[in-house]
Amino acid sequence: MTIKILTGFLAVAILVLVVELGRRRKLTFKYAIGWILISLLGLLFDVFDQLLSWTSALLGFTLPSNFIFFTLICFFIFLSLFLTIFLCQQNNRNDTMAQKIGLLEVEINELKQKKS
Amino acid sequence: MTQEKILIIVPAYNETGNVARTVQEILSLSLPLTVLVVDDGSQDSTAQEAREAGALVVSLPFNIGIGGAVQTGFQYAIEKGFSVAVQVDGDGQHDVSFLGKLIEPIRKNEVDMTIGSRFLPPFTGYRSSFVRRIGIHFFAYLISFLTGYKVTDPTSGFRAFNRKVIHIFAGEYPHDFPEPESIMVARFYDKRVKEVPVQMRKREAGHSSIRYLATLYYMLKVTSAILFNMIKQKQAGRDQ
Repeated sequence: MTIKILTGFLAVAILVLVVELGRRRKLTFKYAIGWILISLLGLLFDVFDQLLSWTSALLGFTLPSNFIFFTLICFFIFLSLFLTIFLCQQNNRNDTMAQKIGLLEVEINELKQKKS
Repeated sequence: MTQEKILIIVPAYNETGNVARTVQEILSLSLPLTVLVVDDGSQDSTAQEAREAGALVVSLPFNIGIGGAVQTGFQYAIEKGFSVAVQVDGDGQHDVSFLGKLIEPIRKNEVDMTIGSRFLPPFTGYRSSFVRRIGIHFFAYLISFLTGYKVTDPTSGFRAFNRKVIHIFAGEYPHDFPEPESIMVARFYDKRVKEVPVQMRKREAGHSSIRYLATLYYMLKVTSAILFNMIKQKQAGRDQ
């Protein structure tokens, strides 16, 4: 029973934290929604733990804990892959922006000189 | 033949003491050219020095690496309608008296891109340190094998490009190890590439961005980066 309280507390803590971050505008909806859904899902499995046993048995896991570990590892692998993609995209955009700023600056200076 | 507009792209990152001399050397050639120094977020007075020497200067707001810097030059060339672009590194290594020779095959429309090579006869001048030479030869074989071009100096940043290649590189230029990788990009879009014998000098001030101890690690990284180019998809609208 204590483990149920502990995990339930963790799920609620994540939910509260994400909502609070959203309130303080540290997280936008786009990034907050995923975490909110995941904490709700965790809470769901926590309250109805038969659901967890049932799902893991259905997928062929001997122990529900193995199912949890497997799911979490998969989740984090894909999460970090997507974050890398995002990082790469932001990096490219950053570079393109720097180039554009540099070129525009030259253009502005040229125009200023022509004017004076 | 009408005189083409030639843009000399000089990428420079903290090259105080080198960049002014490079610019002056280029400007003293009697060729119809514009010198564009791309200051890659230098912390020293590179930009000011280049401007005083008579170059046009693009200052990037922060350091994005030599690939991004050279690409900025290509974008400028497109915007202003230059038909030939030449890359000359800002560290004073390149002997710009070979500039005419480098452009010649492009002017005659024999090739789309030329690379100044310090390993082609008749020159036997400065050829880099021993460790680096091993690396360069290795990449020369690798790239020649992969592209079918005859490349002896794939890390040379002394190059000339025609309009077609400028157009491709303005949109797609490798940022990781631009010199060897861009040869792969040129091959990818079926462009004609040829080397021209040139002489190079030892760096006059400052340090090269490649360290000796990291050579092996560097070689592995560059090899993977070169091979990574093989899996890329063609981008629509790049080739004209």
